[in-house]
Order: sequence, then C-alpha cells, then structure tokens
Amino acid sequence: MDLFKFLWTGVKEQQMLFGLLTGFALFPIYTAYADLPFWNDVAMRIMLLGMAAMGLNLILGYGGMVSFGHAAFVGIGAYCAGISQFYGLNNGWAHLGLSLGVCGILGLVISFLALRTSGIYFIMITLAFAQMLFFLFVSLEQYGGDDGMSINRADFMLFDLYNPLRLYYLIWSALLIISVILLFIVHSRFGVVLRAINNNESRVEALGLSPLRYKVTGYIISAMICGVAGTLFASWQEYVSPDIMHWSRSGELMIIIILGGLATLAGPLLGAVVFFILEELLPELLNLVAPSYAENWMIIFGPIMIFVVLFARGGLMGWVSRLAARRMSDHGVGQ
Amino acid sequence: MIATVLDLVNLNKSYGVLQATADLSLSVERGQIHALIGPNGAGKTTLINQIYGSEIPDSGCVFLNGENITGLSVPKRVRKGIGRSFQISNVLTEFAVIENAIIAEQARRDESFHFFRPAFSDQDLIAGAMIVLERVGLQKRSGDLVADLAHGERRLLELALALSGTPSMLLLDEPMAGAGFEETLHMTRVIDGMRDNVGILLVEHDMDAVFRLADVITVLVEGQIIASGKPDEIRANCEVLAAYLGDEE
Ligand SMILES: Nc1ncnc2c1ncn2[C@@H]1O[C@H](COP(=O)(O)OP(=O)(O)O)[C@@H](O)[C@H]1O
Ligand SMILES: [Mg+2]
Repeated sequence: MDLFKFLWTGVKEQQMLFGLLTGFALFPIYTAYADLPFWNDVAMRIMLLGMAAMGLNLILGYGGMVSFGHAAFVGIGAYCAGISQFYGLNNGWAHLGLSLGVCGILGLVISFLALRTSGIYFIMITLAFAQMLFFLFVSLEQYGGDDGMSINRADFMLFDLYNPLRLYYLIWSALLIISVILLFIVHSRFGVVLRAINNNESRVEALGLSPLRYKVTGYIISAMICGVAGTLFASWQEYVSPDIMHWSRSGELMIIIILGGLATLAGPLLGAVVFFILEELLPELLNLVAPSYAENWMIIFGPIMIFVVLFARGGLMGWVSRLAARRMSDHGVGQ
Repeated sequence: MIATVLDLVNLNKSYGVLQATADLSLSVERGQIHALIGPNGAGKTTLINQIYGSEIPDSGCVFLNGENITGLSVPKRVRKGIGRSFQISNVLTEFAVIENAIIAEQARRDESFHFFRPAFSDQDLIAGAMIVLERVGLQKRSGDLVADLAHGERRLLELALALSGTPSMLLLDEPMAGAGFEETLHMTRVIDGMRDNVGILLVEHDMDAVFRLADVITVLVEGQIIASGKPDEIRANCEVLAAYLGDEE
C-alpha cells in the first residue's frame, strides 16, 4: 500500500520523467500516422542512450563518483548477447541475466579497486579499466575483433523482436522499469546515504556508516543498468563491436548527464533527447552556413556544453525547475 | 556495570619531530564531563582524532567500555558507541536539518542498506529525528536547509548528530567555538543535560563554560598532561593558568 502511495507521489513529482516516458510510449502512433517508421529507430536509440546515462547518473550525479569508463559496461552487456549467440544461445532473457551477472561482478571488482582512490585518480583508473576491456575485445579475433560481429535479434519469446514495434516496447518497458527502480533507490535509505556521501563523506563516517560499502553497491547497480542497455542495444543494432565501449562513448554519456542535469531522474533522458537533436541539427545548420565544416559539429557543440555548465547550472533540468519556480511565484502560489 | 567508559593508555603520536601526543594516559567515567584545555597546538584535536579513529596512535591503546578499539575504523568505533562533534562544523550542508537527523536516525537503527524504503517521508524516522533535534532545541528549524542556519545553530546540529547514535562516549571538540554569548549559555545547558549515562570529553576554550560543566579538568601542553584534577584544584593552580593564559593572549 505504502509502496503504491510512494509511487504515485513519485509520478506526480517527476513530471518531466514520466512525461518523457509517456511521450516515448505514444511516439510510434505518431510515426505510424506520419508514415515515418525510421523515427522509431531513432527513438529506440535515444531511449537506450538515456537508459545507460540514467545508470551512470546514479553514481556520477547522486554519488559524486566520476566514473569515466561506463560505456565499457554497455559494451559488456552487448557482448553478453553477441557471444552467447555465437555459441548458439539465443534466449534474450538469458542474455539479460548473463549481462546483469557479468556487469555486477565486473562493477564490484572495478569499483572495489578504483574506490581506493578518489578525485582525478579515480577518473583515471576507471578509464584505464574501460580501455583494458576495449582492447580485450579488439583483440578477440574469434568475436570479430575490431570489426565486431553481426548478430540476430535475441529471442525474447513473447516479444518477437522482428516485429519492430515489439522491440520498441521491450526497450520502452525496460526504460520504465529502470526509471521506477531508480525512483525508489534514489529516495530510499540507501539512496540518501549515497547522496550524503557525495555531500560530505566524513559526516557519513561519523554517523557510523562505511562509505565504501554504499559506493561499491551504487557502482554495481549502475554497471548493471548500463549492461541492460547494452544487451538491448545489441538487438537494436543487430551488430556488436568494440566501438560502443570506446572512451568517447563514456564521454558522451557524461555529456548527456551534465546537459540534462546531474542528480535528477529525468535529466539523463532529457539530455539524451536534446543531445540527439543537437547531433542531428548542428551538422545540418553547419551545412547551410559552412558546408566544409559540417563534420565538425562538435565545434559548436563544445561551446554549447560550456555554456550549459557555466550558466545553466543543474543542466536543462535545473533550468526547467527555475522556470517553474518563477512561474509559481508570478502566480503567487509559492511562499 | 563498568563505570569507566574511556581509557587511554600511554598514547604516543608524532608528526616528524613534533610530538603531538606524549605518553598520554587518561580515563573518563560514565556520567562525567572531562574537560581538556590547553593552548592552540597543544594536541587536543589530535588526541580526539586518535580516540575517534581518524588518526592511529604510534603506540598505546584506546579502550572503550573495556574493549580495545585501537585498530578499529571510524564507522566501527561509532557503532561501538563513540560520538563526536568537530571543531569545524561537519554537517550535510546540502540537506535540510531534519534530513541530517533522519540519516543519523536510520544509521543508528542500522537500516541504511534498504533500497526501496523511502527515507525522508518515513514517519518513524521523522519521529526519531525530531527527538534528537528537540534535545538541542533545533525542532523549530527542522524544515530549513542547513545552508540557511546561523553559525550557532550549525554547532547545535553538529551536537545533535553526535548525540543521535546514543553514544556511551562523546567527544566534543570546541562546541562553542565562534558562538555568541546567548548561544554559549544555551549550548552549556544542552551539554549539561546530556551527561547522564555518557562520558564526555570536552575540549573548550571558553573557561566559564568549562568551569560550569567539568567534573575533571586536564591541562594539555605540547602533547603532555601538565595537570589534572577537580575544577577547584585547577583554578587554584596559578602556574597552570599562567602557562595556559600566557599562550592564549
Ligand atoms: N596531520 C598533521 N600533520 C602534521 N602536523 C599536525 C597534523 N595534525 C596536527 N599537527 C600538529 O600537531 C599539533 C597539535 O595540533 P592539534 O591537535 O590540532 O592542536 P589543538 O587542537 O590542541 O589546537 C600542532 O602543532 C599541529 O600543527
Ligand atoms: Mg583543535
């Protein structure tokens, strides 16, 4: 009973998150009417990016751990599907289970070692682990090495993924479930301790709690969420390669989070939407203005990011909530 | 029941050539306020750190309720009954006052490793947190952000958090530092009201407060105890006062 009450409060408070989720749920209806099925594909990619970013945000935003290698877990999740299929196991639920297990164990080992350090050293060590995994898969020739491997969509039994809408709603359901799980975790007793550690670790110790335990657990959960995103990504792309665990992919996840708003539930998803729009829009714009530079859309994206970090503190979510607060006070509702 | 809560035996701690704690032994009884005074740099905070566990002595032992805790980590010591307030306020600055107390309350109950039970809206936790805030007189500010608290109120919150784990030994490092006259009086009353069932080691520069509160006073200079006794004895000991006040002014 309490659980449902809490869930309902959460849905009411997280308007942006559940608004976006509703938007994604209805989007295929629009694309069907407008006859733009290609855009379903785009929306799936955004949902998967957002899902991975939400996973990373648990430790980056809420826990204050700058893990610069989280794309590695997305890659591991994808390879769990790819390699299983290579050996004839095509059950998607098994892929997901494997991915959760492997990412959980790897998350435990990596965080346990990396969390002996902090600050810049932590960033470097997580990056080093991610690079190790990247080059491991580059060197595994039997699984395609550098070129990666083509795979079939996994068999999720009830969901025949070759029906594109079923894949869409499988991904959407995973995103919904992960959103709800994160909604609970962030407000849970564990979640507030994670946030407290981010704020002041020595105070948490003074309360008799051992920060390492909470950080490692947070890291494991975050790695598992990225793993799920990766496993589904493999089915979406029908192809797995080391490219999805390249360090620049980790950077992309971090950019998405900062753009959308650190330590907010909706931020990573909103960030993924806006990131994608910019990624599509900026090359087009550049194409109009200076065609020879269209490839270098990052030249414009970089300053936008700096602007967001400097002036829209809290990312887009911070900006949205400030706007909402101003509207409230204009109408004399607040205070 | 063991009356001695804290027992320090021959503690030594050096930083290079500087001996911050020199062969120091001291004990604190249950229900007693033991004041530790001395000039800046005497080694008071360093001593507290060694009891608390954030510094490890080079040699010597720390006993809490008869148990040797010298090798334990900070969180373990806290769970065994050490509570501490810091010389520089050490609270969760990005949270509300009540949220600070709620996290302390769930830590006390050892319920922090729950992933689905909401924390800040839990009526049980709120009730427990309010009790602690009432003990220091902060209940009216419970809904405010720590960032909006006055300095003295932060010191009170610091005290509340130290109290929340129902410690058997409280280490208070200059709780009145920077507080105004009224606040110091209030803080003195609060600390006076905490003394039952707990041993208190109080480091404080405010001599009025020290003489009002302390059952025993120990004077520390350059890591060494140069005098220890009842407040009257210490007050009478002019030499001590000279050593102390000479450095102070
Ligand atoms: N981590 C440290 N490294 C080096 N010296 C230190 C350290 N901590 C304290 N000290 C020195 O030890 C002495 C005692 O310091 P402290 O315990 O803070 O004094 P008090 O609290 O009595 O003012 C001082 O001379 C201080 O400079
Ligand atoms: Mg000091």
